[in-house]
Amino acid sequence: MKRHIIRLTVNGDTHELAVAPNATLVEVIRDRLGLTGTKRGCTSGACGVCTINDEEGRALLSCLTLAVAWDGCSLTTIEGVAEGGRLHPLQQAFWELGAVQCGYCTPGLVMTARALLLGNPQADAPAIDEALAGTLCRCTGHIKVKQAVASAVARVAADHVAATPESGNDGAQG
Amino acid sequence: MLYCAPTGGFPQDRRVQLPAFEYLRPQSLAQALDWLAMYGTRAAVLAGGTDLLLAMRQRLVVPEVVIGIGDLPELRGVAFDGEGVLHLGAAETLTTLAGHPLLRVGQPALAAALQSVGSRHVRNVATLGGNLNLPTRCWYTNQSETWRQARVPCLKTGGDICFVIPGARECFALNGADGAVALLALDARLELASAGGRREVSIAGFYRNDGLAPTTLAAGELVTAVRVPAAAGRSTFIKIAPRTGLDYGLGTIAAVVAGDDDGITAARLVLGSIASWPVRLHEAERIVVAGGLTPATIEAAAQAARADLGELTNL
Repeated sequence: MKRHIIRLTVNGDTHELAVAPNATLVEVIRDRLGLTGTKRGCTSGACGVCTINDEEGRALLSCLTLAVAWDGCSLTTIEGVAEGGRLHPLQQAFWELGAVQCGYCTPGLVMTARALLLGNPQADAPAIDEALAGTLCRCTGHIKVKQAVASAVARVAADHVAATPESGNDGAQG
Repeated sequence: MLYCAPTGGFPQDRRVQLPAFEYLRPQSLAQALDWLAMYGTRAAVLAGGTDLLLAMRQRLVVPEVVIGIGDLPELRGVAFDGEGVLHLGAAETLTTLAGHPLLRVGQPALAAALQSVGSRHVRNVATLGGNLNLPTRCWYTNQSETWRQARVPCLKTGGDICFVIPGARECFALNGADGAVALLALDARLELASAGGRREVSIAGFYRNDGLAPTTLAAGELVTAVRVPAAAGRSTFIKIAPRTGLDYGLGTIAAVVAGDDDGITAARLVLGSIASWPVRLHEAERIVVAGGLTPATIEAAAQAARADLGELTNL
């Protein structure tokens, strides 16, 4: 197999890699870049534990994706979600509400929910269900996960109100 | 940084490792079609890859060459042509199409059908062309290589028996392409291209009721676009599946019905996931148009559909 030189930006760091055509993104991310937060699960698109986000913030299954097809693209993995040492509101909510059991599916769940929040900051319960439908937690269930995502949606909305001067003033006057 | 050698301990396991192939990225549709003509059945086209890569992992498909067509601008676009027909590029993703106002408002059955596929993760990259070319499936063949090797080959894998329907002499693998069910009800047409030229075919003419060869797509041909006329009436799509997410349908139905309380002037009813092609229910349509939508005609139409379909089901 002829290797291809590809340029991948992952969590802001740009890497030039020689990859075999049959290397999937999850293999490159874990075994070449050492970013083992992204998990390998069913490798058939059913469990979502390998979920990462693309440039547009969409949820992407890194196990069903060839690395060569993403040459020149920018990706975010679970390692790139916390900013400046502060947990992302989703991570904070998963932690506080105990939406974790063994933890294997958690990075995929957070990346799935991150894509939802980026595309639909006011996601309601049906939207959360729809987004999480491609994920699977085999320890327990999705009740706490759904609660954590809903909690993160509320936190992001509250932060947005606090950070917007006009809304903040309205709140103070009311 | 330039990495040249694998550093990790990724297991070289056939169950998870993709088979070896060469990857080609065409600069244009013409180049892709030239390559398809050159490599013929030794090539596979890759757009979203959610079905192809799984089939390759299971060694159901082992192409020498994979041609990545997902980025080709000639396969994109959602727009009306001059005649009020909706033109959908075959490499548009299911997420884009299912959420597009022209489909959500104007073609609700098609939007619902595409929205019912897989999960959000899958729909984000899976394409319309990929859905329409979904291979037929059964619970014997669509398994890992190890599973299949535990028994002698079936009709689909080079043998002469069927494990799903004992005694069957033909392959009844099911067509689960949800988009095709809606598109047949909508009387859509497909644009196909090859190095030799272009042709257009109706959905009815594209599919065959044969689990081994479920489409009339020729070697070297590619579905480039779908042309959807304005729905001749109200339309809907319903999928019955164990879960709302991820599962293939146990049965799907698309309906396009024109008329009002005074009567039904036209109806197109199509069932999916129960045969090797989407099944048009001609007799049920005739009964509904002749008698209107009453409990009695609906019951008669259901009985007619059942008689048409015979006894084989996927249940």
